[in-house]
Amino acid sequence: MTGGPASGAGWVRQLAFGVRLAFRGGATGWTRVALTATAVGLGVAFLLLAASVPNLLSARDARESARVDYLQHLERRGDDTLLLGFVDTQFHGIRIRGRLLQPEGPAAPVPPGLTALPRPGEMVVSPALAALLSAPGSELLRTRLDYRIVGQIEDEGLSGPGEFAFYAGSDRLEGWSGVQRLNAFGDPTPGDGLSPRLMLLVIVAFVVLLTPVVIFIAAAVRFGGESRDRRLAALRLMGADRRMTRRYAAGEALAGGLLGLAVGVVLFLAGRQLIGRFTLWDISVFPADARPSLPLAVSIAGAVPALAVTVSLGVLRKIAVEPLGVVRRSAQGRRRLWWRLLLPFAGLALLAPLFGGRADTDGQLARVQVGGGAVLLLVGVVTLLPWLVEAVVRRIGGGGGVSWQLAVRRIQLDSASSARLVSGVAVAVAGAIALQTLVAGVESVSVQDTGADLHRAQVNVVLSEGATFAEAKKITSRFAATPGVRSVTGTATSIGLVAGTDQDVPFIMGACPDLREMAEITRCRPGDVFITEHDPESSDAPEPPRPGQQVTVEDATWTIPATVTRVKGRRSPDGGVWRGAVLATPEAAADLAAKPLRLSLYLGLDRSDPDAVELVRNTAAEISPLTQVYGIQEVQVDDKFAGIVRGILVGTVAILLLIGASMLATTLDQLRERRALLAALTAFGARRGMLTRATLWQMAVPVALGLVPAVLIGTGLGLALLAMLGLPLHVSPANLLVTVSAGAGVVALVTLASLPVQLRLMRPEGLRTE
Amino acid sequence: MTGEAPLLSARDLHKTYGPTPALDGVSMDVRAGEIVAVMGPSGSGKSTLMHCLAGIVRPDAGELRYRDRNLITASDAERSALRRREFGFVFQFGQLVPELTCLENVALPLRMEGVRRGEAERRAAHWLDRLDVADVAGKRPGQVSGGQGQRVAVARALVTDPAVVFADEPTGALDSLNGELVMRLLTECVEQSGTAVVLVTHEPAVAAYSHREVVMRDGRIRTSAGMVQ
Repeated sequence: MTGGPASGAGWVRQLAFGVRLAFRGGATGWTRVALTATAVGLGVAFLLLAASVPNLLSARDARESARVDYLQHLERRGDDTLLLGFVDTQFHGIRIRGRLLQPEGPAAPVPPGLTALPRPGEMVVSPALAALLSAPGSELLRTRLDYRIVGQIEDEGLSGPGEFAFYAGSDRLEGWSGVQRLNAFGDPTPGDGLSPRLMLLVIVAFVVLLTPVVIFIAAAVRFGGESRDRRLAALRLMGADRRMTRRYAAGEALAGGLLGLAVGVVLFLAGRQLIGRFTLWDISVFPADARPSLPLAVSIAGAVPALAVTVSLGVLRKIAVEPLGVVRRSAQGRRRLWWRLLLPFAGLALLAPLFGGRADTDGQLARVQVGGGAVLLLVGVVTLLPWLVEAVVRRIGGGGGVSWQLAVRRIQLDSASSARLVSGVAVAVAGAIALQTLVAGVESVSVQDTGADLHRAQVNVVLSEGATFAEAKKITSRFAATPGVRSVTGTATSIGLVAGTDQDVPFIMGACPDLREMAEITRCRPGDVFITEHDPESSDAPEPPRPGQQVTVEDATWTIPATVTRVKGRRSPDGGVWRGAVLATPEAAADLAAKPLRLSLYLGLDRSDPDAVELVRNTAAEISPLTQVYGIQEVQVDDKFAGIVRGILVGTVAILLLIGASMLATTLDQLRERRALLAALTAFGARRGMLTRATLWQMAVPVALGLVPAVLIGTGLGLALLAMLGLPLHVSPANLLVTVSAGAGVVALVTLASLPVQLRLMRPEGLRTE
Repeated sequence: MTGEAPLLSARDLHKTYGPTPALDGVSMDVRAGEIVAVMGPSGSGKSTLMHCLAGIVRPDAGELRYRDRNLITASDAERSALRRREFGFVFQFGQLVPELTCLENVALPLRMEGVRRGEAERRAAHWLDRLDVADVAGKRPGQVSGGQGQRVAVARALVTDPAVVFADEPTGALDSLNGELVMRLLTECVEQSGTAVVLVTHEPAVAAYSHREVVMRDGRIRTSAGMVQ
C-alpha cells in the first residue's frame, strides 16, 4: 500500500500507484488499457481535427484570396499588366480551374504558386492535374489542354492538394471578350464570409458532431469497469480505505485518459499525413493546414484527462467498494424525471428569444445562444434516456423467448449501462435530425429550381468573344459533326439600347427553328421579327420597344419593323426566359448579322455516351479556348451551402462510425466480463443463436427507446432553429426514417461485428479456472 | 453396479492444448447412479476430462460413447442437445445468470428446451424447495449467499432430470459447512433419482461423497479405486 491516507505526498503517491495499476494485470490489463486508449484516442483525434477547422478554413481562404484574379478590370496596358482569360473546364465530372495568361510588360504579375509566367504554348499544372493528364483514359483531356507542361503549381497557389488547375501562356488574348487586364493578384478586402443562416448551420453542425464525441470518450474511459472494481476490492482487503481507492481509481482513469490523449495526438498526426491524399466532393486539404488552434488544443489536453477522472469517480459514487467485493448501491430508488427535463427546457429557453428571424441580426451573442441551446437539448437526450429505459423495461415482463427474457432482465438489472451504451447513437441521431430539418429549411432558399429542360438539351456552349452569323453557322456545323451530339440550336445575342432612352433591350438573332426555342412562335419566315412580352407579374418592367423605334446594337442602329409580331417568351433549355426581347431572323437585320455577337448554343447529346460532353468540350476548345461549356442543371445550389452539406454528411457518417466503434468496444468489454457465464450457458447446451439474439435484443431495446427522445428532441431542435431563421416549419418523414434507420443500422452492424468474439467466448475454454 | 452397461464410456482419450497434453490416453466408464470423483492436482487434466465426457470439448483421439451414441462424431448441435436433455452441470462459482432471479435461473434449462414458462417455473420451484432455497426464488444471485447460490446451481443442474450431472469443484468457493450441505443435498437427490455424477475436486472431503475415485496426474489416470461410503 502506498502512502498514508492523510498526507499530501501520499495523495500523489496513491494517484501514481493508480496510474501504475492501470498497466498491470498482464495481457488482460494491457488489453483493457489499449482499448481505452484507442477509443479515447479516436475521440481526441476527432476533436483535434475539429479544432483544426478554423486554421484549415483560414489557410484555404488566404490562399484562395491571394490568387483572386477577377476583381481588376484595367483599361490601359502597361509594363506591369497581364491579360487573363478564364478557361475553366471539366473532365468526367472533375472540375479543372484554368487560366490563360499573356503578359503585356516585363513587370506583369505572376500568380501565387508560380515562379514565372508560362510562355505561349506552355502550361504550369497542379500535381493532381499532372497525374490526371498522365493517367490512362485521359486522352481527350490531353487533346484539349494541348500545351507543353513546364512546371507545377506550388502549394501556395492551390486551394488544396487535390485541386486540378493549370496556367497556360498565350499570345492571342488581346481584344478578346471576357479577357481581363490586371496588375496584381489577390483580394485586398476581406471576403463576405458566411451568411448568418449558413453560420448557424455550421455552429449547429459542430455541436451535433462533437457532442457524441464527448459522450464517446466518456464511455471509453469506463471500459473494464467490473474488473477494475474487483481490483479495488482486493486493495480494500489489503487495507486501503475508501478515499485511497478513489485516488487509485482516479489514477487509473488518468492513465487511460493521458494515454488516450497521446494516442489521439499520434492518430491525428498520422491521419494528417494521409489527409492530403484524399479528395472528397472536390474538397482536399493540405496536411500543414490541419493545425489545431492553440486555445482549443490546450482545452482538449486538459478536458480529456479531467473527463476521464470525473467519469471514473462518478461511477464509484454509485458503488461501495468493500474488502470482500463490490456492492452496487441499489437504494437509490427510481430515477426522477423532473431534473432530467431541466436540460432540454433550459436549451429551449436559450433558443426561444431568437425565434422569429432574430438570429440574422444578433451576431456573436446569438451564436453562443444557439450553440449552448443546441448542446443542452442534445445532452437532454443523454439525461432522459436512463429514466426512459428504466421506466419502460420495468413494465416489461419476462415473457417471450429465453433470449428476450435474458435481454430484458439484464436491462432491468442495470438500465443505466444499457442507456449509456446507446446514448451516443441517440445523440447522433437527434443531432442529425435537427441538422436535416435545418438543412431542408435552408435548402429552400439556397437551392433553386432552374426550370431547365434536360429533354431538349444537356449542354450550353457560349462563345463570348462573338461570331458573325455566317461564322456561327460554321461553328454550329462543327458541333453538329462532333460525335455524340444529337441536336444543336443556337442564337446570337446582344444587349441593345432603345434610341432616345436608357432602356436596355435584349437582341436575339437566329434562324426560325432556333427562335422557336426562345419564344412561342407559330409562324416564322426569314425576315420576320418578334418581340416577347414582359412578365405579366412584374409591374415595374418597361414596355417593350414599339415598331418604328430605333435600337442600337454593337454600334449599329436598326429600326424595328412595322411587321413585328408580339409573342410569349418560352423557357430556353437552361430554364431562362427572355422578356421584352427582340427576336430577329438574320434576313431582317443584315447589318447586325455581319457583326460578331455573343453566340449561345444548346446541344442535345447521346446521354449513353460518357465521352460525348468531353468531345464537345474539345470542339469548343479548338474553336477558342475561351469558349465556355456548361452542363445544364435542373437545380442550382449555392456553392457554400453545398460545401457545408457535404461537410455535414462526411461528419455524420464519421460520427456514426465512431459511435459504432464505441458500442462495439463496450459490447466486447461486456462480453469478456461475461466470458465464464457464456461458456457455462453453452455447456448447458444453450444454442448459440439464442445467446446471439439475447445480445441483439439487449442493444435493440435501449436503441429503440433511445430513438424516441432522439426523434422528439432532434425534431424540436430543428424546428426551433427554423423558427429562429424565420423559415417555414416543416418536418420530412422520409428524412426522419432514413436517419432513424441509420441509427438502427449501426446497432445491427455492431451486433454483427461482435458475433465472432461472442462465438469465441462461448467456447468451453471459458470454463477453465486453472 | 459393475454388471450394468456404462452410461459413459471413454477409451484412450487424447486432448492437447497447444504443446501441452491435457489428456494422454485416458479410459474410464461411468455407470447409472454412480458418483465418480475425479481428483488430482491443478493442471492434471481433470477438468478437461470432464469437459470431454460432457461433450463440451471434442477429444483429439480416442473413443467416447454416451449410451449408444458416439460423442466423437456427433455434431456440435447433437452434443448441445445432449447436454440440454441428458446432462446437468454445477460449476465452482455457480455461474448463475446475474440478471435472472434464482427461480428463472433454475427454469432456464427447461426453457431452453422449449418448456413453457409457467411449467418450467413450477418445476424449478419444486427443485428449489428440495434444495431448501425456496425462500430465495425471487432474488437475484447477487442478493443471496454463496452457499444458497450453489444450491440454486445444483437445482438448476437437476431440474431436467439428467442422467449425468457434471460437477466441477462444486464446493470450491464455499466454506466447509456450506460445502458439506451442498454435497449432502446433491448426493441425496441423485441417489433418489439414479443420476450419475462426475465430480471434479481436489478436496478429499468432497471426494468422500463418491462411490469411486479416479486420480489423475499429467493427463493420465494413475489410480482408480472403489470406495464404500
